[in-house]
Amino acid sequence: MIASILASGLAVGAVYALIGVTYNTMFSASRVISFTTGMLGMLGGVFGSLFVLRLGLPIWMGFALTLTCCALIGVLTEFVAVRPVLKSLDQHLYVLTTLALSLMIQQLTATEWSTEPQRFPRLFDIGAGVFDEKFWLPVVACGIVMGALELLYRHTLVGKAFLAIAEDNFAARALGLPERNLRIASFALAGAIGAFAGFAGGELLLAFVANGALLNFYGFVPVALGGLGNNRGAIVAGFALGIYQQAANFIVGGIFASVAVFALFIILLLAAPQGLFGAPATRRV
Amino acid sequence: MKITRRNFTTGAAAIAGSIPLIRPMGRAIAQVEPIRIGWLAAMTGASSAPAIGFDRGVHYAAELINATGGVKGRKIEILTRDTQGDPTKAVNATQEMISQLKVHAIWGPTNSGESLAVTPIMARANMPNIHPCVVTALIDEKKYPNAFRTSPSLGQWDDSMRAYCLNVLKTKKIAVLGDTTGFGSAAANFSVAAFKKDGADVVYAANIDYNQPDMMPDMLRAKNAGAEVVVVWSTSTGMDARLMNTRAALKWDVPFVGHSSMSSGDVANLIEKREYWNKVYVTGYRSCSYDTNGKLPPRTQEFVDQIKGKVKLSDNLLWWVAGGVDAVNLVAKAVETTGSSSADDIIKFWNSLTKYPGYYGDYTFTPTQHNGYPTEDVVMSEASSAKDGAFSLAPGYKA
Repeated sequence: MIASILASGLAVGAVYALIGVTYNTMFSASRVISFTTGMLGMLGGVFGSLFVLRLGLPIWMGFALTLTCCALIGVLTEFVAVRPVLKSLDQHLYVLTTLALSLMIQQLTATEWSTEPQRFPRLFDIGAGVFDEKFWLPVVACGIVMGALELLYRHTLVGKAFLAIAEDNFAARALGLPERNLRIASFALAGAIGAFAGFAGGELLLAFVANGALLNFYGFVPVALGGLGNNRGAIVAGFALGIYQQAANFIVGGIFASVAVFALFIILLLAAPQGLFGAPATRRV
Repeated sequence: MKITRRNFTTGAAAIAGSIPLIRPMGRAIAQVEPIRIGWLAAMTGASSAPAIGFDRGVHYAAELINATGGVKGRKIEILTRDTQGDPTKAVNATQEMISQLKVHAIWGPTNSGESLAVTPIMARANMPNIHPCVVTALIDEKKYPNAFRTSPSLGQWDDSMRAYCLNVLKTKKIAVLGDTTGFGSAAANFSVAAFKKDGADVVYAANIDYNQPDMMPDMLRAKNAGAEVVVVWSTSTGMDARLMNTRAALKWDVPFVGHSSMSSGDVANLIEKREYWNKVYVTGYRSCSYDTNGKLPPRTQEFVDQIKGKVKLSDNLLWWVAGGVDAVNLVAKAVETTGSSSADDIIKFWNSLTKYPGYYGDYTFTPTQHNGYPTEDVVMSEASSAKDGAFSLAPGYKA
């Protein structure tokens, strides 16, 4: 039982963590919490199944196309749902615009793809039981994304520019950084990360339109627990959430598992409103 | 022209004199007026598969009747509205059908959620209504004397499934799994209560989120509780397939019995190996089942031969198409027999039916019983045996 809790918990936890990182990547560049994030995860699975199973493309090509398509949807999000409301962030209009775009993506997928879950291709056909690839692929994907982001942010000029606009976009613009282009690039990067989460978790979650709402919801929990904008916090909180959720499934079962997850979530946020790894909010005077 | 007293009196007398001539003309218009059947169909959206099947039957029946001259010279006109499975849209479409389209009867909706919303509206308008929805509360002969069910109710499904578990499979320790939708929880609760009433031991019962990626926790608990059969009430093919994959991962040779979604082609695409679909038995209908010799009942075979090449069955279920044909025929028969398309006459005719021979079933209605489908014809089918929209009887039934 413990092996099963760990295998399944780490796998879904990795997907939640990556969705959390997607939220953070968009947030850092724009201060917007975009509700299209879960849809990017869902589309990772749907595009993967479409390109590899329906269109019969090689897995590597299907993977590359999936990431490209979702990166473009990330850019579209920036143009359509984020940029028009950036001037009035304090009114939180982005909730409406990103939610509307998210619903449009969901409806379009339901109409053009299917409302029923569809099969996702077996990628490497390695492992069985608790060592099946459907359990360890999302964990590996999470490691790859974290490693790549560390490299990008710490060792490249573009990555440092990303960090600069995340820290203070007014100051970054004053220094001559192309803030608008960097924001577009951030949304493209977020789209690709969300797609990677959905693609790596496709064997577990299937290519299913309903995954969008699920990932929007559970993917936000690591962000809130780990601290908004904190990727490392999101990763730790994502894995913790996955294992806790799966343990609750085994111990209390069924619908009570969700109740257990959200009861703990509320208690933790009451104890640490800024998240477990976030710094308390400060205000300049 | 100047209106004089004489002109006015002459005109009034002429109008009064022409009334006896106008009345038969009105009757003549009614005689050639088409029989308008409203068809509330969820043609798109999550629950569109059954409506697409029913729709093929509806149009086939209407075209057949019209090609042979209609019903006493009156053509059948099908007025379809796509409700998309949305109760709000179904309410709007029903109101349009009653007040603007002036339909004579309504067939549908085809899912219980929509039907719960529109049934009281149709009852207020005394609109003759036939539907195939399973929720028990939809049939209430006192509250809704206009509503008739041509499919089994949830209770009839459950009776058939329970009888199969207890009398054919001879199992006594039962696990009942439902999803967390309204249907899933209602059906699972109903099953648990009925099994207990019949003296069976319900060793495990749970409602599972149909989106849950891993079914191992519940399946493991059911196995550890000693379940000899797992009853599944869910319309989610994803949940069904995951349960079958988990059963195989546990190397557990337990039969699955339950909702017909487990026989969907989508399940075949989602299970890891074809053999994981074995020992899965779903609710079905004797009229649309192959017997142990691989043959359909004679009347059904005649229907299948009749529609061959005209109605596609390979991607659909036979009972959906047959049910659509029966719905149109029931309205046509009412008008043909009574010579009237008034609501009262149609309802009165349906209330008088005893074993009316449809293709999907032999319907019996009385003023106090509007569940028209015969319980003895609800059977269990082998989930993996689909061929041209029909299934083989599950093991244990006589030919």
